[in-house]
Amino acid sequence: MSASILLRSTLPKTFASTTGRIVLRSALQVRHGSSSTPHYVPGGPIYQGTVNDPTTFPPPSKTHGSYHWAFERLLSAALVPMTAAAFATSGTAYPVLDGLLGISLVMHSHIGFDSMVVDYLHKRKFPIIGPVITWTLRTATVGVLVGVYQFNTNDIGLTELIAKVWAA
Amino acid sequence: MQGNLAKLTLSLPRTSALRSPVRTFATSAARWQAVPTEKPALMKEFKIYRWNPDEPEKKPTLQKYTIDLNQTGPMVLDALIKIKNEMDPTLTFRRSCREGICGSCAMNIDGQNTLACLCRIDRNTGKDSKIYPLPHMYIVKDLVPDLTLFYKQYKSIKPYLQNDNPPEKGEFLQSPEDRKKLDGLYECILCACCSTSCPSYWWNQDEYLGPATLMQAYRWIADSRDGYGAQRKEQLQNEMSLYRCHTIFNCSRTCPKGLNPAAAIAKIKLELAAD
Repeated sequence: MSASILLRSTLPKTFASTTGRIVLRSALQVRHGSSSTPHYVPGGPIYQGTVNDPTTFPPPSKTHGSYHWAFERLLSAALVPMTAAAFATSGTAYPVLDGLLGISLVMHSHIGFDSMVVDYLHKRKFPIIGPVITWTLRTATVGVLVGVYQFNTNDIGLTELIAKVWAA
Repeated sequence: MQGNLAKLTLSLPRTSALRSPVRTFATSAARWQAVPTEKPALMKEFKIYRWNPDEPEKKPTLQKYTIDLNQTGPMVLDALIKIKNEMDPTLTFRRSCREGICGSCAMNIDGQNTLACLCRIDRNTGKDSKIYPLPHMYIVKDLVPDLTLFYKQYKSIKPYLQNDNPPEKGEFLQSPEDRKKLDGLYECILCACCSTSCPSYWWNQDEYLGPATLMQAYRWIADSRDGYGAQRKEQLQNEMSLYRCHTIFNCSRTCPKGLNPAAAIAKIKLELAAD
């Protein structure tokens, strides 16, 4: 009885006095028997390094950073006058506008979908599904671009189609 | 407090009857004391998130506590302290300054991340008040979230003045206009209310820095005395650290200090685009 009380009272103290939380964490981790990752507590957070190390940044890349953002914003802004122009004119009279609108719309939705993939299905969390979805999206975008090109050159074109559906 | 007073007045007649006349002075003075006006009991139910790490097999539950609001201070933190003192000492939460400057008591009260010490108790007793820890964080116990990653991220942006060319004599001088750029940024107390209200931070908090850290990043980018603006900006030039912000504005809506992290993030984006 007294021995168990002694054990109970000294154990937490030694844990707390030596290195506090990390010791407790590693003690938990040993108990759960997963020794491959050093600071992993089942169901708990995974930290890179110790609790005092700052998080790290991915290698800097303007293409993934500001250029991507600026392009996406400018494209979104450009879509407003383009849609208005397409609404005011007819696609058969201005095939260039029709083509531009087709490309911009597809690019815009590609960036939007890609953003969703990065948010919810990033490959660091979904090593199989992530890349599969990314490449599915890329294939779909290329397919749609080809389809829109065919439709614009060989058929009535996007603007006319929307006008027809609108009137129907 | 009131309970003690009641006990005192109850015991008075007995003592005055038994004690000698010498002591009547003390008892009669007490008899003349004003009686506190009795307010009717205003019972309000609080539902508080409970989870105990010592019993990991037990699922988290909402525990109900009913307290008299007329015997409680006006803020949610007062209610929590009352519950801990008088009803359930196992209830665990962080608190320190009780005046909104330490950021310890950040929690989710009735669906809004806020500081318990700055949040008034809704006196409508018909509706219960639900108190959860900050959303989407690992929980240490009850209302205590694990903020380790949050602090690690804060550390990663080097939240201190960096300048290789300090003035030869005296201190850095700053124009009033330059100083003004820091208003609304330096007041942040890092309570993590904004970051934990951000859906992007919920899904990607291991890579995305979150509004609180990004606002502090901008605080040092905007500082005219800092010489490492270019490096600070370059760090953020990637897909995850900054650009997971989709201008949801939950951060600005929830900030208990009335700051605007979304505006700071927008300014970083603009500066990066102009680079």
